[in-house]
Amino acid sequence: MLTKLQLHLTKVFMSIFLRDRQSIFFSLFFPIILMSVFGFANTGESEPLKLGIVNNSSSEVALEFSQMLIDNPLFITTVGEQESLRTQLVEGEQTMVLILPESFDAQSDGAELRLLVDAAQVQQLGLIMPLLEQTLIAIEREFRNIEPMFSLAVEDVKARSQRYIDFLLPGLMAMTIMQLSVAGSGFNIVEFRRKGILKRLFVTPIKPNDFITAIVLARMGIVLIQLTLLLLFAVTIFNVSIVGNFLTFYLMIMLGTFIFLCLGFCLGSVAKTQQSVMMVGNIVIFPQMFLSGIFFPIEAMPELMQPIAQLLPLSFVATAMREVANNGTSLLEITPTLIGIAIWLVVSFVVSVRLFVWKEVAN
Amino acid sequence: MSIIEVKDLAKKYPLPDDKSKFFYAVDGISLNIEAGEIFGILGPNGAGKTTTLEMLEGLNDIDSGSATIDGIDVASRPYEVKQIIGVQLQANEYFDNVSLDELLSLFAALYGRDVDTAELLSKVNLLEKAQAKPNNLSGGQKQRFSIACALVNKPKVLFLDEPTTGLDPQAKHNLWDLVRELNAAGMTIVLTTHNMEEAETLCERIAIMDHGKLIAEDTPQNLIMKHAPEPPQAPLHGNIEDVFLALTGHGLRD
Repeated sequence: MLTKLQLHLTKVFMSIFLRDRQSIFFSLFFPIILMSVFGFANTGESEPLKLGIVNNSSSEVALEFSQMLIDNPLFITTVGEQESLRTQLVEGEQTMVLILPESFDAQSDGAELRLLVDAAQVQQLGLIMPLLEQTLIAIEREFRNIEPMFSLAVEDVKARSQRYIDFLLPGLMAMTIMQLSVAGSGFNIVEFRRKGILKRLFVTPIKPNDFITAIVLARMGIVLIQLTLLLLFAVTIFNVSIVGNFLTFYLMIMLGTFIFLCLGFCLGSVAKTQQSVMMVGNIVIFPQMFLSGIFFPIEAMPELMQPIAQLLPLSFVATAMREVANNGTSLLEITPTLIGIAIWLVVSFVVSVRLFVWKEVAN
Repeated sequence: MSIIEVKDLAKKYPLPDDKSKFFYAVDGISLNIEAGEIFGILGPNGAGKTTTLEMLEGLNDIDSGSATIDGIDVASRPYEVKQIIGVQLQANEYFDNVSLDELLSLFAALYGRDVDTAELLSKVNLLEKAQAKPNNLSGGQKQRFSIACALVNKPKVLFLDEPTTGLDPQAKHNLWDLVRELNAAGMTIVLTTHNMEEAETLCERIAIMDHGKLIAEDTPQNLIMKHAPEPPQAPLHGNIEDVFLALTGHGLRD
């Protein structure tokens, strides 16, 4: 149980952290800006492609083919002359231009369609090619009067569309946990030591245990408050929903906070100056921001990096939070991730206890 | 009756350029401090004053020798010693954004005590600053507040490390009055200082340290009689500054 002293200390640390308006502002500002940038830029549906069509054929088939493309909601089409459309493509007003040859008609025998693209702009080429081919096949079938042998119906079993913001939010929250916690223990300890506050505390009968418990509890409280604010923002502005169990989600937050607080204590015990703690802290924080699947899935990284990336503490925490938030996964289903979290918990706790020698940290 | 007994106390550090060799920051000092006195430790920079104090306060490990405060061994029972001493360190910064009032209750809680913060603050003349933050205090106010923090556990011994360094004359005299007042109420006070006037007028006994060793220990009057150079005609017997310079030489330190 908590002693009266631990509660008193926790209260004091809470008010120290809460009265530091500036760092609270900035720790919320960054994730909110990121969320807004991606949330507003990406509404979930892919943008329609601007497609220019040059119809050099006067056949009915060609007309019907262009009409099918015009009716397709994936494209915004402009029909026009090759020269002007080409200029528009170069200027970026069209994403691609499709040229139907003169010989495009019902008697066609392998007529070649030309697709002009600006390769630097069209990341989705791999998506568009099959689409065009599909349209061509459909038209061919119609004219040759063939019924398709098979058809493929795609059903989304998730029953809700996964937007980028849905993917991003849990990772962003995990990242905020990491930053707040590492700074909350590591940076604060170095700052307290620089000011001689730890030395002053050392000459009182305070037990290091009480000091650490109070920092952990106070920081945990602050992290929970800040993350709840972030979550409220995401829910009200971007309509993000947490599919899984709320308690499970918050349990993951607390486990993550504990891991990163321990890592922060390690930092604060090893680094003696403000500069060195910032440097070492950034070595811990920055690679994890990009390698832990916060902004894009780990699977999208080079094969060689993936095994390393998957072992990072932030990867485990972010994955667990995302699974719960996006897919409503229960704890049982993410056992491997939980084992990873547990290992990091134990390792970071043991190492921080080893490194945090009260007398040496205080002096 | 001695409240602090120090015997052959020593602290060594490895030399920066040759780690196998040591230099002694405190080199076997012995002294007794009587209950109820104001005891001053003087010495040039690097003489070992602060290290000595830090060993008594438990901040620094004792390499050899022993020290007891009120009969309690400092090395083996540090937590009992911490209960009966009050400490003011050279650095007197505190947590940002926490008021004097809150800081005092925090310090009291560290000793498991409740404290009348208003009474303590008025004792050090800071009652009207109860809601102020330490950052907004002047140098003298900061020092008085540090002393208030050191008083929360009603200590038997109060350690002050260079309490008047950097203070203007008003603040200095104000602080001396406070020290005398606390001493009159029965508190033993041990302080280090560079200020000769402080040593001479405030302290009942003085120890002078140099190169980690204790080179003189007596009342200010006796030290003046023994060590101050006799002025040629003047009837005056010199002052503690003369004693200090006669004993430690005129060479610059640091």
